[in-house]
Amino acid sequence: MLVVSDLVKRFADTVAVNHVSLRVPAGTMFGIVGPNGAGKTTTLSMVTGLLRPDEGSILVHGADVWMDPAAAKRAMGVLPDRLRLFDRLTGSQLLYYAGTLRGLDARTVKQRSTDLAVAFGLEDALGRLVSDYSAGMTKKIALACAMIHSPRLLVLDEPFESVDPVSAANITTILQRYVAAGGTVVLSSHSMDLIQRICDLVAIVVSGEVLTTGTMEDVRGGGSLEERFLELAGGRKTAEGMEWLHSFSD
Amino acid sequence: MVAQFLGLKLRLLANTFRRSPLQVFGIVVGLLYAIGATGFTVAGFASLRRVEPVLAGDITVAVGSAIVLGFLLVPLALGADNSLDPRSFSLFGIPANRLAAVLALAGLVGLPSLAIAAVAIAQVVTWARDPLSVIIALFSAVLIFATCLLAARVSSSVASLLLATRRARELTTLIMLVVLVLLAPAIALLASVDWDRGGLDALKSVADVAGWTPIGAAWSAPAEAASGNAGGAVLKLLIAAATAGLLWVAWRALVGWLLVAPQRRERASNYVGLGWFGRLPDSPVGAIAARSITYWIRDARYHTTLLAVPVAPLLFVVVLAVAGVSVSVLALLPVPVMCLFLAWSMHNDVASDSSAVWLHLASNTSGWADRLGRMVPALVIGIPLIAIGSPIAAAISGDDGVLPSLIGVSSSLLLAGLGLSSVVSARFPYPSVRPGDSPYAQPQASGTGAGLIQSLTFFAAIALSAPALWFAVQGLLHPGVTSWSTFSLLVGLGMGLVLLALGVLWGGRIYSRRSPELLAFTLRH
Repeated sequence: MLVVSDLVKRFADTVAVNHVSLRVPAGTMFGIVGPNGAGKTTTLSMVTGLLRPDEGSILVHGADVWMDPAAAKRAMGVLPDRLRLFDRLTGSQLLYYAGTLRGLDARTVKQRSTDLAVAFGLEDALGRLVSDYSAGMTKKIALACAMIHSPRLLVLDEPFESVDPVSAANITTILQRYVAAGGTVVLSSHSMDLIQRICDLVAIVVSGEVLTTGTMEDVRGGGSLEERFLELAGGRKTAEGMEWLHSFSD
Repeated sequence: MVAQFLGLKLRLLANTFRRSPLQVFGIVVGLLYAIGATGFTVAGFASLRRVEPVLAGDITVAVGSAIVLGFLLVPLALGADNSLDPRSFSLFGIPANRLAAVLALAGLVGLPSLAIAAVAIAQVVTWARDPLSVIIALFSAVLIFATCLLAARVSSSVASLLLATRRARELTTLIMLVVLVLLAPAIALLASVDWDRGGLDALKSVADVAGWTPIGAAWSAPAEAASGNAGGAVLKLLIAAATAGLLWVAWRALVGWLLVAPQRRERASNYVGLGWFGRLPDSPVGAIAARSITYWIRDARYHTTLLAVPVAPLLFVVVLAVAGVSVSVLALLPVPVMCLFLAWSMHNDVASDSSAVWLHLASNTSGWADRLGRMVPALVIGIPLIAIGSPIAAAISGDDGVLPSLIGVSSSLLLAGLGLSSVVSARFPYPSVRPGDSPYAQPQASGTGAGLIQSLTFFAAIALSAPALWFAVQGLLHPGVTSWSTFSLLVGLGMGLVLLALGVLWGGRIYSRRSPELLAFTLRH
């Protein structure tokens, strides 16, 4: 259960997040979609306790992220977007580090590392430095780090970006089983099809504001999520005045 | 196209000034220094006009060869500015011949080119004695200019090729260590040469050899002409022309190759097991300690620290030894100085994690655990250093009575310094080199007051150890009275431990409170 109320974040004179409120019941998969620069990452950073909000509150299973971080962060697994990892560690060292910082003992971490490596197809990569990983593998090891302490809530910023289709399908299955068992997932993505396929609830965020939120059926109405999104987000431009592009220079 | 490239280079040059005031100040100081050095060389060369040709030739050849070597080696050593890397233009579809020529011409814009042009012209003044010498010197000036220009382009490109992989960049750290260690005896050796008598002979033998090599031939040709050896002059001009020609061929080949060669990829090596993580306790402190130790071993940025710790006291001791300080005093310096540098090097540790520190934040890692864990590598190095180094140092100094105060002062510098670093790194981070960048690269962005924080932390670390130091100095001034030395030991160890504990707790509180701001800081820089 995640309740976000009236979240505000300003950077200098721009309002990046403008009174965002979200309700994510336990046992659901919640998708956040929005154009580039809509404030998705800023919102998720505040939810995960990485960025101090100017106003508003975030409750994770009743614990306020910014008042009672110990309880709130214990219940939360985090995959941030575009933050570095300690990439001079090998994959298994990074998993061990993430697990131990979460208070797991060595035996549990090792056992879960093995399971996670199999689930994400990283068995052969665990002995290599994370700095030598491809973008997709880095995403997968970070995702594994987010899950290692079996949190009740997973907050995943762009979990499928640069991940190959096979791995993406595996990750989707893992997340769906997690949700079926009572876990909660909040994820952001640019892939409308994917969000439409796997999420129960969705919010469309544009320019720091939630334009609409609700169950997937309600938000979509009759059409697809993409159609609804384009209609709400606007910004579709007809490609006039680009005829020179079709006149090939040589 | 030439105009566009010259414009681009000018723009890049102008942009070096669009930085923080502190950096601009540094650049201006460097600039004034370079202008001063150039002016000095130009004036020196011009005044050589009145010196007899053999001696004048020896001097111009020795100095000139050193300058050409500089153009060749400095980019290799520092991986110098390669903003006009041929690779950057590979997508524009410019023919390689044309690109090579245009990039070499763009190299004309820049301070090194201006400086070498001035020196090459000054060299003509040196040889303005008879028509033949002047003509040869004019040819030499052109060849010198072309050689230096092309040498810098070639070696910058070679450097960017060689240093393309992380492991190669890290290897340069080791090479620098070897060079620095070798430099100290070399300085001592140079200081011992009797310049009044042996100096000119040494200069002559250097110039005789260098004059026939590609780096010195152009400088030497007019000297031969002025001494009446026209044949030698022409021969040397030919050597110089061949050098410039070969450099052009090399540059052309490099450009052609860089345009199509893929970026070098390094082989990933496999590590077995958990390394240090398996050897330390499975608690947050243990894990953070293991992570820190692993980084100290694997990350080139920490290697520079490890390099500075032994080299700094070495240079210090060499300088003092040249100044005539006795061995019994010199022997007491290295251990405390190494402890000081070791503790001080930790004062910006959070910034070097960059945004990876989010993991600590998301895990709600307690501040004191973070602080304590990060200190472990410095303690692992520092404690054996004191335990083994102090008795050796005391034995060399020939006075066993100084051992307690040596241990006291060193422990105080290490422990109190680490306590201080623990607070400073949480409260006053400043931009550091990013993970994966060359340790000699400048931080991408610069904050205000990095230098201020560095120097304040350094002197504060010494000030915190003032009591132990004072007792130790009293002990040295009153040999025979052993109680001073004992006091130094007790005060140094006691205060060190207390300040370390205070630093961990206070630093930990600051860290816990400010960790979102720390993350925001690493994201801005």
